[in-house]
This record gives sequence, structure tokens and C-alpha cells, in this order.
Amino acid sequence: MSTERDSDTFGRSFRISHTYRSVAYKLGLYGSAAVLVAILGFPIYWMAQNAFKTRLGIQEGITFLPSAETFTVEQFEIIFNPTVGRYLLNSFIVTAGVVITVIVVSLIAGYGLARFDYKHKVKTARFLLLGYMFSPIVLAIPLYLIWDTLGLLNRYVGLILALSAVSMPFAVWLMWKYIQTIPESMEESAWVAGASRWRGFRDVIVPQTKPAMIANSVFAFAIAWGDFTFAHILMPDNEATTFPPGIFRLFHSSWETGWAEFMAVSLLVSLPPLLFAFFLQSYLLQGFKIRAL
Amino acid sequence: MAIDTEPVDRSRRFFEDGFSIGRFEITSDDFWGWLTILPVLALYTLIALIPIGFAILASLHNVPLLNPEWEFVGLSNYVEVFQLDRFWGSMWRGGVFMVGSTIIQLAVGVWMALVINKLTRGSRLLSTLVFTSYLIPTIIVTMMFLFMLDPYDGVLHAAGVRLGIWEGFLLGNTSLSMGAVILISSWKFSAFVTLFTLAQLQSIPDRFYEAAKVSGATTWEMFRDITLPRIFGAILVVIFLRAVFMFNKYDIIWQLTQGGPGSATTTMPILAYTETFDANAYGLGNAVAIVMFLFLLVSGILYLKYANPSQEVQT
Repeated sequence: MSTERDSDTFGRSFRISHTYRSVAYKLGLYGSAAVLVAILGFPIYWMAQNAFKTRLGIQEGITFLPSAETFTVEQFEIIFNPTVGRYLLNSFIVTAGVVITVIVVSLIAGYGLARFDYKHKVKTARFLLLGYMFSPIVLAIPLYLIWDTLGLLNRYVGLILALSAVSMPFAVWLMWKYIQTIPESMEESAWVAGASRWRGFRDVIVPQTKPAMIANSVFAFAIAWGDFTFAHILMPDNEATTFPPGIFRLFHSSWETGWAEFMAVSLLVSLPPLLFAFFLQSYLLQGFKIRAL
Repeated sequence: MAIDTEPVDRSRRFFEDGFSIGRFEITSDDFWGWLTILPVLALYTLIALIPIGFAILASLHNVPLLNPEWEFVGLSNYVEVFQLDRFWGSMWRGGVFMVGSTIIQLAVGVWMALVINKLTRGSRLLSTLVFTSYLIPTIIVTMMFLFMLDPYDGVLHAAGVRLGIWEGFLLGNTSLSMGAVILISSWKFSAFVTLFTLAQLQSIPDRFYEAAKVSGATTWEMFRDITLPRIFGAILVVIFLRAVFMFNKYDIIWQLTQGGPGSATTTMPILAYTETFDANAYGLGNAVAIVMFLFLLVSGILYLKYANPSQEVQT
């Protein structure tokens, strides 16, 4: 009898405080989410809506959407401007080179780390991670004269090598940890069926590493597409430089180009990251899981 | 038939036996293992180790950039660096930038990760924005904020002036520009903390929370006793990574202010760049870079020794 009443009051008091608590919790959670979405989303929204305004529309004052008179798509013609087009083309070439180099080299090294038990293996992999400590500026300043002597200044190869090296340590770790999760018996059964080590690698391992390859290529893409420091120093010529230092120079030298055009080209350049962020986020988060190991 | 299998057999045999050069036994695993990691090591040597060695060498010489004739001057570049007022100033400002932006990124980043982890609806929108800010090129972030802070057409500028927080161009304000640069870089780089923490949060098994719920734990107690200890190791690692990255940060500061106004936002990477390319003192610039590198190396080793994050992450 008494126990029943006890449990009854306990239940009721628990329910009430629980309700209050859960209301406060919900308010805090959704309130936080709203604040964060506003802070992160506002600059992107502002860039996007101003990319569709005429120059006069921006100068007339701050509006939150382009009106019928100020709406235009002609700002996007800036990519047909030979200078900006050249920057974008250079960025494409360098990014493609970096992504391909990183994928191939990280696959081979990751396979070696996962499947061969060689001396000083873990130490070597740890040593690679020390690469995080090197500042791009500390590396780029000496590289400038080294590349100058080797004739690699203003050449795609020079920049591709530098950016691949920067993306490499993490890509190799990710591939190593990922290949470790693929059972060795799958490869062994291929060898029993007469496949060589190379065939086993190509036909059994490589197709299964697709998620890790996607994560690696997006991270390498982000480094190469967004790099400013290396390109700024190693590609001093206006003809050779990539988009980030190029548009920076244009911004500081040309009074002819208006904000609307800069916003239009910025929007175009941030489209691939936006699409990757939306469609590939689970792969990227998987990559971060391994990074946290 | 025989022709067909023979090469396979031979390769298999070499594969299992390995070989030896003199006294050194090289097993097949050693051979193939080192062969597979060789491209990475070559790249690493070319882009990281040789430049560091080259920078040490250059820092002992007087090298005018336009006429590269090396004149050996011993340690005098380092003496000059330590006597420069602007070196100590840039070290202080670099410290302010590093500590300030790391703290903000850590607070916002962990908060954001906890929110995304708990959201049942709409988390896709928030996480897409987080990934976007992580993947978007720094120059785009700079352009967006320079536009929003533009004294004529900028929306943030108008808001700040209306509220009486600043007058004129914010990044041209000597006392406020450092704070502004810290906040703008936190907008870009908090996402790294979020993703790192979120990955750790999602690897906590649900059964822990279920067990806690059955025994009547409140949300706060669950956070304190399950979530916090589990992400603590990841937080120690992320503090280390963010502090290193922010200390080394060159691009976003250069794009926003070029170290100005005056020297209000000149951190050590900015100083290394301007000494090298604007003052044409290649040797001196390299000396700054080497001092930076050594400073980071020593503080990194101390941090890893006393905070020992790697042990925490094992759980």
C-alpha cells in the first residue's frame, strides 16, 4: 500500500519536472540550431542573392532579395573574361592533378601498410603525420627558390607536387585504416583461383575502397581548389596562377569589376563544395572518424 | 599449361622468400612494404624535408631575392630577427590570434557538434552548412566578408555602424581588426572542430544511453558521465591541431588585411612573407620561418607530453 503511494508520487513529480526539463531542452536545442543556421547560412545567402543583382542594384542600398528591376544573370559573364577564365582553367588542371596523384599514391601506400608487415611501419606512418606541423608558408618560402632553380616555378607540376604532398599524410592513413577493414580472406581466395598479387589488388581491393577514395578525393579537392598560399608564391605569373590568388590580385588591381561580379564568380566557385557537402557528407564524416583514431 | 603457370609460380616463390644483401636480410614484406610507401616518402622529402633543410641553410646567408648571390653571414640573421621590434610584436599578435581563434572555434565547434548529434529533424541542413564552410575556398569566405563589411554597400557594416560598434571600415580599424579577423576565421574553421567531435560522438554506442535512461539518468547526467569523457580525448587532439593550424595561418589574414592596418594583424607567417618578398631579404625571411617552426616544434612536444592526447583516444 505504502509502496504504491510512494511510487505514485515519485512518478508524478518525475513526470512534471521531466516535462519542464524537456521543454527547456527542446528550446535550447532548436534555438541553438536556428542561431547556428543563421550564422553559417547568412554569408552564403548574401553572396548568392547579390550575385543576381545589377551593379546599380547593389549601389542603391541594402535589399534582401533582388527586385524585378535589379535582377540579372549577366554578372556570370565574368567567367568568359579571359583573365578570370584562365584562373579557373588553371585551378581545374591543378585540382585534377592533385586528386589523381593523391588517389593513386594513397591506394598503393595504404595497401602496403595494411597488408605487408615491414620494419618500422608504424613509426614511418607516424612520421608522415608530423607533416601537419609544417606551415604552408614555412614550406613555400624555401620552395620558391628551389622551384626557381629547378625551373618548376609557374609550372603546374610544381604546384601539383606541393599540394599532393600536403594532402598525402591524412589520405594514406585513411586508406590504410580502410583497407584493414577488408577481410584478407577475400584476396586469398582470389590467389587460390590463380590471380596474381596485382590482380588481387586491382580486382578485389580497389573496387571495395570506393568510400575511402571518395573521402580522399573530396579532401584533396578542398585543399587544391582552395589553396592560396602555395599558388600565390609558386605561381607568381598572372598567366599561370590559380583562381584564389588570381581573383585576389584582380580584386586589388581592378576598379572596373564590381561587387556583383565578384559575388557571381564566388558563387560559381563555391558550387562544387556545396554539392559535395550535400551529397557526400556521410563519406566525409567517415573520413573524420578515421582521422580521430 | 606449363608456360602459363610458370611465371606465376616464380613470382610467388620470390614473394615468399625475400632475399639478402650481404648481412642484411630483407624479407619480401620489407621489400614490398617499403616499395609501396616509397612514393609518399619521396613526395614528403621533396616538399617538406628538403625545404626545411634549405631554409636552415638560407637563414645562415644573406640572400637578396632579386640577385641570388649567397653570402655566408652565420647566425647574424637570427640575431637580427631577435632584435627586431616587429618580430616580438608579431609573435605576441600571433599568440593572440592563435589562442583567441582556437578558443572560439572550440566553443562553437563542440556546441555545433552536440546540436547536430541531437537533432532529429533538420540536421541535414545544418550539417550541409557545416561541411560547406569546411570545403569552401578561403578566398570565397574573404570575398563574402569583405563585401559585407564594405563601407558603401556592406550589410554588416551598416548594422555595426547603426549599433554603434564601429565606424568606418572595420578591418581598417587598428584596435578592432584583430578581433574581426579572429571572428571571420572562426566562421571558416569551426567546422573542423565540429566534424572531428561529431565523428567521435557518433561512435558512442547507443546502449550506453539506453542503460543510463533505464536507471533514471537525466539528460545532463548522461552528457556529463557518458558523452564528455568519451569526447574528451578527441577534444585534446583537436585543440592541438587547431592551435597548430591557426599559428601557421597565412592565407585568410593576408587576404583580409595584408597584416594591416599598420601592423595590427601581422602575425609570424605574415612577417615571414613580407620580410622575404616585400623587403627582399630572403635569408632573414627564412630565419623567421625557422624560428616559427622551432617554436611550434617545442610547444608541440611539450603539449603532447603533458596532455598526452593519444592515450585518451585509445578508448
